[in-house]
Amino acid sequence: MKKLQITSVLIAIIFAIGFIPEVSGQSLTGEQIVEKAYNRATGDDQTSDLTMTLTNKSGNQRIRKIKQFTKDLGEVEKSIMFFLTPADVKNTSFMSWSYDSDQNDDQWIYLPALKKTKRISSDSKSDYFMGSDFTYDDLGDRKLEDDTHKLLREETIDGKACYVVESVSKDEDYMYIKTITWIIKDNFIGLKKEFYDEDEDLLKILSIKKYEEISGLLIITNSEMKNVQKNHKTSMVLNNVQINTSISVSKFTERMMMRGL
Amino acid sequence: MENILKKLLNKPWIVIAVTIIISALLFMQMKQNSRMETDLDKYMPQDHPAFVYSDQAEEWFGINDGIIVAIENKNGIFNSATLDTLKQLTKRLQKMDEIEKADVTSLYTADNIIGTEEGMDVKAFYKRVPKSEEKLNELKHNVENNEMTFGRLVSYDETVTVIIAEIRDDVFTQEFYEEIHALADSYQTDDIKIHIAGRPIVEGTMALLGPADMMKMVPIVLLVITLVLFLTLRSVKSTLLTMAVVFFSVVWAFGLMATVNIPIYAVSTMIPVMLIAIGVADGIHLYSHLQLFLRENPDASKKEATLDMLQHMWKPVVMTSITTAVGFISLLTSQVYPIKYFGIFTAFGVLMAMVFSLVLIPAGIMIFGLPKVKKSKKDESNMETNLAYGFAAKILKRKSISIYVTAAIIILSIVGMQKIWINSSFLDKFEKDSEIVLTDKFINDHFGGTTTLNLILDSEGKKDVFKNPEPLKLVEKMQNQLENDLEVVGNSFTLTDYTKRMNKVLNADKEEFNVIPDSRDSIAQYLLLYEMSGDPENLNKVVDYDYAKLNVTFQLKSDNSKAINSAIAIIDSYEKDFEKQGISMNYAGSGYKGLIFTDLILEGQIMSLILSLIIVIILLSLMFKNYKIGLIGAVPITITALISFGIMGFLDIPLNTTTALLSSIAIGIGIDYAVHFIEQYRTNALKSDDMLLVAQKTMAHSGRAISYNAIVVIAGFLVLLFSVFPPNRELGALVSLNMFTSFVGTVTVMLVLLKVSNIYFKKTKS
Repeated sequence: MKKLQITSVLIAIIFAIGFIPEVSGQSLTGEQIVEKAYNRATGDDQTSDLTMTLTNKSGNQRIRKIKQFTKDLGEVEKSIMFFLTPADVKNTSFMSWSYDSDQNDDQWIYLPALKKTKRISSDSKSDYFMGSDFTYDDLGDRKLEDDTHKLLREETIDGKACYVVESVSKDEDYMYIKTITWIIKDNFIGLKKEFYDEDEDLLKILSIKKYEEISGLLIITNSEMKNVQKNHKTSMVLNNVQINTSISVSKFTERMMMRGL
Repeated sequence: MENILKKLLNKPWIVIAVTIIISALLFMQMKQNSRMETDLDKYMPQDHPAFVYSDQAEEWFGINDGIIVAIENKNGIFNSATLDTLKQLTKRLQKMDEIEKADVTSLYTADNIIGTEEGMDVKAFYKRVPKSEEKLNELKHNVENNEMTFGRLVSYDETVTVIIAEIRDDVFTQEFYEEIHALADSYQTDDIKIHIAGRPIVEGTMALLGPADMMKMVPIVLLVITLVLFLTLRSVKSTLLTMAVVFFSVVWAFGLMATVNIPIYAVSTMIPVMLIAIGVADGIHLYSHLQLFLRENPDASKKEATLDMLQHMWKPVVMTSITTAVGFISLLTSQVYPIKYFGIFTAFGVLMAMVFSLVLIPAGIMIFGLPKVKKSKKDESNMETNLAYGFAAKILKRKSISIYVTAAIIILSIVGMQKIWINSSFLDKFEKDSEIVLTDKFINDHFGGTTTLNLILDSEGKKDVFKNPEPLKLVEKMQNQLENDLEVVGNSFTLTDYTKRMNKVLNADKEEFNVIPDSRDSIAQYLLLYEMSGDPENLNKVVDYDYAKLNVTFQLKSDNSKAINSAIAIIDSYEKDFEKQGISMNYAGSGYKGLIFTDLILEGQIMSLILSLIIVIILLSLMFKNYKIGLIGAVPITITALISFGIMGFLDIPLNTTTALLSSIAIGIGIDYAVHFIEQYRTNALKSDDMLLVAQKTMAHSGRAISYNAIVVIAGFLVLLFSVFPPNRELGALVSLNMFTSFVGTVTVMLVLLKVSNIYFKKTKS
C-alpha cells in the first residue's frame, strides 16, 4: 500500500520534472508553456465537494454546496453535480458533456420541483458557470489553438518563479481580447490570470489560493475569480477531493440526475 | 450713520477707487472659482430620510437613469440595415466613458430564453447581423414570442427599437450631450431615424438651457432697464450710476460665492434677477428726491443737494434694505441648500446695493456733478405733480372702492389658490412642440414610458422572502392593477416577470404556465436555473442577494407630479397587505426624489413666507415705533403674494422650483414700496396737519419714485417673455405682475389704510 503511494508520488515527480530535461536546452515558447499548462495531468476522474461562494460588491454572499463528479473520457469530459444547499434547491442537478472537438457542450438540468430533466442549449462557452464569475472557458474549456500565445517575461510572484504569457484571441468577437497568465515554471500551474475585455480594460483576475497534491497529482483546491469591473467575486473551494476512483460512466446519465445522491 | 456718509462725501475718489478695486478682486475670484452645478442630485438634502433610502436602493439595485436611444424605421426594424445600426450604436455606447458597458441594454445585448419540447434554449437574439430572409423571420418570431422583449425593447408595431444606456452620476456635461447627439446623427439615413430621450437628457438639457437662456436674456433685460431708467430719470449720469449699483452688488454677491467656494446652482441664476429688481429701487428713490429738491432749489450746490438727499433718504433706504434682506434670510429655514444659499447671497447683494446706493451715488454726484434739470421740463413736472395730487385725492375720496376691490381680489385669489398644484416635472418646463417633448412623446407612444418609479419592497432583513409565492403573487396583482387601471403606467417589471417567463419556458412554452408557480421550491429552482443560464446581473436589478428586498420598476408615460402621484396612490393601497406579510414599502429613483424635493421646496417656501411676513411686521413696527404701521406695511406684500398665487391657480401655472421662489420677490419689492411710502408720509405728516395734503405730497414724492421703479423693472422683466425657455418666461411675467400689484397696492389700499388708521394725526382728528 505504502509502496503504491510512493510509486505514485514518484510518478508524479517524474511527470512533473520529466519535461524539464527535454526542454532545458532551448527556452520554451509561449505556446509550449500554455500547452503544458493546459495538458497538465489532473487525473481521469474526480469526486469532490465544491463550496461556491459568490460575493457581491456590498459584501453579501450566496453560498452553494455542491457534490460533483467529473470523468475525462478522452474526446469528451463528463461532469455531474448535485446541489446540497440551499435547501430549496437541494437535489437540483446539472450535467454537462464537453467535447474536445468544436461541438457545443451538451447540458442538462434536473429540477426536483419540475420532476423532469431539461436540456439546456447554449450557444456560447462565454456563458457564466452557475451564475459565478467563471465562464465555462475559464474552467478549462478553452483550446490551445484559439489564441496566439507569446512569452512576455519571467517573473517571481508569491515566491514562485513564473512565466508570464500573453494569449491574444484569434476570434475578434471573443469576450476577452487577451489574457495574461502567470504559469509556475516548476509545475505549469497557472497561478494567476488576468482577463482583458474588448476595450483592453482589465475585467477579471483569477488567483489560485491553494493547490494540493492529491493522489500524486497537483489539484487546485482553492481559487478565486474577481470581476474588477463589477466588483463581484467567486471563490471555489474543493474538499474531500478523490482522484482516479474509477467512477462508472453510467453515473453520467439523465437517470442518475433524477435519482439524486 | 449720517456722519459717516457725510465724511465719505468729501472723499469721493477714494470711495470709487476702493469699490472698484474690491470689485475687481471679487471679479477675479468669480472668474477663477465659479462653477455651475448641473447635477440635480446635489440639490437634494442628502440627509432627508426619503433621499437616504432612495440613494441606498439605487446602490443596491443599480438604479440609474437611462438615456433612451430609439431607432425608428417606418418600414419595420427587422432588416439587416436597421439591425446593423442597432448593433453598431450599442457597441459605440458601451465604449463611452460615461457609460458602464454592462449598463447598455438593447435587442443586441439581451438574452432570449425560449422553451422547447425537450428543454430550454438560451441565446442572444443575434450576434452577427442576420442577412437572409429566413434568419430575419426567425429573429422576428423570437422577439414576438418573448414578453420580456416585445413591447419593451421592440415596439409592438415593430417600427421602433430602443437602446437603454444607464449613465453614472455626475457625468452629464455639455460635451457628452453633444457627443451623444453627434453619434445619433451619424447613423441616420433616409430610412432610419434616431431619437434620443430619457431623464438624463431632459435634466441635462434643462440644466444647460435654463441658465444659458438666462445669460442671453439678462443683458437684454439690463439694456431695457437702463433705457427705461434713462427715460424716467432723464440723465445719463444718474442712469449709469444706478446701474453701477446693481452691477457691483451682483459682482459682490457672486464674488463672495466664489470666494467661499459655493457653486452656482440653477436657482442662483435668479440672484441677478432679484438684485436688478430690488437694486434699482434705491437709486430711483435717491434721484427722485434729488430732482424734487433741485426743482424747489434750482441754485443749490451739488454738495447741498447731495447732503439733503442723504439726510432725507438714508433712513428709508436702510430700512427697506434691511427688511428685504431679512425677508431673504428667512429662506434659511428651507431644507434645500441651494435655496439657503440663494437667500443668503441675495440678502448680501441687497445690503451691498444699499451701501453702494448710499456711498457710490453721492460720490458719483460729487465727481460728475448734478444731473441736469432742464427748464423745459417744468410744465411736465407740474403735470406730474398734478397727476399725483389728483390721484391721491381720488383714492382718499373713494376709499371704499379700494377696500372693496382689494377684498374682492383677495377672495378671488384665495379661490384661485385652491387650484394650485405642485409639479416636479422637468418635461413640462419645455415648449410643447420642442424636440425634447416630441421625442419623449414618440417614445411614450411606442413603449412603456420614459419615466420610472421604483418601489422597493423590504422584508426587513428576513432572507429568502421573495422566493415565496405569496408576496410575488401580491406584487403581480399590484402590477396588473396599475397597468390596467392607469393610462399613464405603461409597463412594470420585477422578479415576477422572470419567474413567469421561466415557468412558461420550462413547461414547453405553454401560455397557461405564464403565472407565478405555487411552490417556493419551484421559484427557487427556476431562479437558480436563470442565474446559471442567463445573465445573473439582470436579476440583481430586481432582487437583492438575500432575496430580502425587491425592486419593482414602473414605467410611466409622464414625469408630471399628478401622474406619479396617481401611481403612488394605487401602490399605497397595497401597503396593509404587504405589511401582513412583514414587508415594508419605500420608493426610490429620480422621479420620486423630484417629487419629494418639490414638496420640500414648497414647504420651505411657505414656511419662510410666513416667517418673513412676521419678521417684516415686527421690524416695521420697531422702525416706526407703531405696531399698526407694521400691519399696514405688510398689506401690499400680502396682496402681492395672494394675487401671484391666485393667478397661478387660475392660469394653471403649477408651483415648481422657479415659481415658488417668486414669493420672495413679492416680499422684497412690496416692502420697499411700503417703507418708502410710509416714511415719506410720516415726514410729511410731521410738517402738516392737512391729511389730504400729506397724502398728496407723499404721492408726488414716493408715489412718483415707486411708479418709476415699477415701470423700469416691469419693462425689463417683460423682455423675458421672449425667452425660449418657458420657466424664464413665467419668471418674467410673474415678476412684472408682482411689481405691478405691489405698486398698486401701496398707492391705493395702503394709503387708504394709513388714512383710516389716523396714525401721525392723533391730536387733530379730521
